[in-house]
Amino acid sequence: METIKLTTIKKEVLVNASQETAFNAFTGKIDLWWPRTHHVGKCPMIELVLEQKQNGRWFSKHEDGSEVNVGYLLAWDPYQALVLAWQIDGNFQYVPELITEVKVNFIAESPTLTRVILEHHDLQKLMGGSKVIESMDQGWGMIINLYKQVADEA
Amino acid sequence: MSALKLSDLSFNALGDPTRRKIFEKLQNGPLTVVHIAADMTVSRPAVSQHLKVLKEARLIQITRQGTRSVCEIDREGILAMRNYLDQFWDEALANFKKLAEADEQSKN
Repeated sequence: METIKLTTIKKEVLVNASQETAFNAFTGKIDLWWPRTHHVGKCPMIELVLEQKQNGRWFSKHEDGSEVNVGYLLAWDPYQALVLAWQIDGNFQYVPELITEVKVNFIAESPTLTRVILEHHDLQKLMGGSKVIESMDQGWGMIINLYKQVADEA
Repeated sequence: MSALKLSDLSFNALGDPTRRKIFEKLQNGPLTVVHIAADMTVSRPAVSQHLKVLKEARLIQITRQGTRSVCEIDREGILAMRNYLDQFWDEALANFKKLAEADEQSKN
């Protein structure tokens, strides 16, 4: 169904690591893999924090000492799955009453290979629209090239 | 209309509970303005004003069909949002893969 495709993003990535390692890297080291430029603070981000527990907070820390919420952990099932509440709208604002779900499943294909499936649902709820459209005009070409480099090296 | 002007307009488009409610309703499919106004507690002119704000923020489209005005979600906005996040997750997951694989290597 087209509407489902339109409002959901699904990504799969095969990782040469055990399920436990993959899960721990995703959650405990989110600060190291999260693209640095993506935060909604007023000044540079120093750390992105995900509290590794049910209902754990998900927030960014900034140079001026401020903390900005991103969302929280709706489900926490080590090392198989987690569900993040993503509460940043299309205008890059944290909106407490907004919940879009990011579901992540870690499937052990072998002791050293894990299939990670990420689904971001209900994108229509994020529709602040215009700021996103502007951002797309500004720098995705560069980001795509960056990704290609990383993917080619992987 | 310049991009900057547009973002100013849309900045609070969904910050208003009435507009959010209208927008949620439209997610099930197009509705006429009369239909939208029918079960809202605000006045008809107020509904029209809210629709205008949503339209200017490119969140909805309003088309005349004979004597009726029909509102629907503007797919352009959703597509933009989708493309943006699609690229974001690609970049994020590529970083994650490298990190997890480095962690695995250092275990051995």
